[in-house]
Amino acid sequence: MSDFVSKEKLQKWAPLLVLIALICVFTFANSNFFSVRNFARIGIASAPALMIAVGVTYIIIMGSIDLSMEGAVAVSAVLFATLFIAMGGSLASWAWLALPLTLMIGGLFGLLNGLVHVKLKIPSFMASLSMGFVGIGLSLLITGGDRIRVEDPLFRSLLTERYLGFPLMVHCALVALLVGWFIQSYTKIGRNFYAVGGGEDLAHASGLNVKKVRVLGFMIAGAFYALGSLFAVAQIGIAETATGYNLMFVSITSVVVGGTALWGGNGGVWNSLIGVLIVNVINNGMIVIGLPRYLQDGVLGVLVIVAVVLSTDRKSLAFVK
Amino acid sequence: MTLEKLKKHFPWITLVILVVLVGIMDPSFLSPTNLIRLAADISTLFIMALGMTFVIYIGGIDLSAQSVANMTTVIATLMLPILGVGAALFCIVVGFGFGFVSGFVSTKLKVPSFISTLAVGGIALSVGQYASGQRALYMDAEMRDQAFGWLVGSTAGIPHELIIALVLLALAYFVERRMTIGRALKAIGAGELAAVASGLQVDRFKMFAFALSGAFAAIAGLMFAVKLSGGSPVIANGFLLPAIVAVLVGGTPLTGGVGGVLNTFIGAMIVAVIRTSMLYLEIKATDQQIFFGIVLIAAIALTIDRSKMKTVK
Repeated sequence: MSDFVSKEKLQKWAPLLVLIALICVFTFANSNFFSVRNFARIGIASAPALMIAVGVTYIIIMGSIDLSMEGAVAVSAVLFATLFIAMGGSLASWAWLALPLTLMIGGLFGLLNGLVHVKLKIPSFMASLSMGFVGIGLSLLITGGDRIRVEDPLFRSLLTERYLGFPLMVHCALVALLVGWFIQSYTKIGRNFYAVGGGEDLAHASGLNVKKVRVLGFMIAGAFYALGSLFAVAQIGIAETATGYNLMFVSITSVVVGGTALWGGNGGVWNSLIGVLIVNVINNGMIVIGLPRYLQDGVLGVLVIVAVVLSTDRKSLAFVK
Repeated sequence: MTLEKLKKHFPWITLVILVVLVGIMDPSFLSPTNLIRLAADISTLFIMALGMTFVIYIGGIDLSAQSVANMTTVIATLMLPILGVGAALFCIVVGFGFGFVSGFVSTKLKVPSFISTLAVGGIALSVGQYASGQRALYMDAEMRDQAFGWLVGSTAGIPHELIIALVLLALAYFVERRMTIGRALKAIGAGELAAVASGLQVDRFKMFAFALSGAFAAIAGLMFAVKLSGGSPVIANGFLLPAIVAVLVGGTPLTGGVGGVLNTFIGAMIVAVIRTSMLYLEIKATDQQIFFGIVLIAAIALTIDRSKMKTVK
């Protein structure tokens, strides 16, 4: 290989190449795939998942895992709808306060998650799994199993209002992604995530308060989950316990497909953007080319394996868990 | 006895405390018939968790178990008229095969088991949906009783499902403690690099652990199919997380090398007691999830032995 395209460079851009290849394949199979209309559809489907993926990226960079997102999204969505309606039910009234409040609720849920993990010394897999149950339970408690409709046209404009062919929520999600990138690359806490993931012992030995970093990480992740829940509610205009359904597997798959390693220390939010797009392009593409519904789960599985094999650097690894 | 030595016994102590607590609140909970029924009700979930224990024991995770069980209910229903009792063997072989594929993708292609098993689960789901024509299938009652009548029913007050679960537990225990593979899996879980360095065929053993998990998931699916007299690609939904929880609560942490199948037995019983206690304590349906979550955090905090973990990730 020439010096211009070194192996490391190729590896770094591999996820993007996989995404481009997928777009080419689906466009070749059905030219309707390559249109602003369809890309907007992919964007809408990706927006909530991207927020969840950005949040969990920080946790995965630290070498931990968070499985509480379905619960966190359910709680945030349901509490948002309840507050929003109680305070007037329109963004034009004081009910807009429900938006920042929801982000705080998400942060609070994440904080609790982090405290259970760090203070009770429960591995994040189990702590967050349990907190996920608590979240689902809490949302059931609030709604009694019912759906809450959020019909304010101003709020739904996240979906209905389009600029440059893409709905408002896609633009909002990209802005949030930039904020996520800023946190990751230009703040102390962002650098510390990598320090913890790269080697916890070393980070601890050099005087870093690892526990504090972990708890803060879960808190920031929680705020991003809450943002994702807002997009998810805006999508269908309904907040319910099932709002977070399937987001756990989709988001973690996306993060890994994007090239962030589950053992921590590398990757980032841009990888997660590519990962979310890969997963959603596959999902959308399968529908556009008319693949029968019953085959889609299996094909997604095979393509995800292929994508991970192609897009992550596993050569240097001694073993994989 | 020092606290260090006591830690190993935390899981079953937690179980006893839970049983006694619920017993104090409602003595009828402690009647033998009730306790046996409680154990029998959890047996399918337990069998799934049993297989998963091998994968978690080596530090991996198996998220395909539920989909493999789902697929098996369909295959068992379709194969019953053709193979009779042989359908059972067929199902187990298919489950073993799916597990093996997960293991192959995870070890040879170096895809993390979280993703590889999830993906293989997707394939199993598609196979199940395709084979069933996306609808629920039913077994012919006569054929079912002839071939698998022994799976249901009870002897001397003990349900057969419970007996089968215990036989499988004994089998898994034998594999874990008395066979080379069991020792090898422990070595891999405790330190994979050291296991490689000492010349162990690590990849082969790892793939076998995933395959075993698939086979046990298939047995769980088979029992579902017989109990419910039919199959559908969604029949076992909602079993994945409780099965993982059973393994973890029993004291086999995801770090690997610690715990084992006996722990999973205790873990499954803890899950069963928590679930049943909600009925006895008359907790409303909408409150059950949150109750389960909070008790779970308490149970995990009590049961896991942190002395062998260097850092808590």
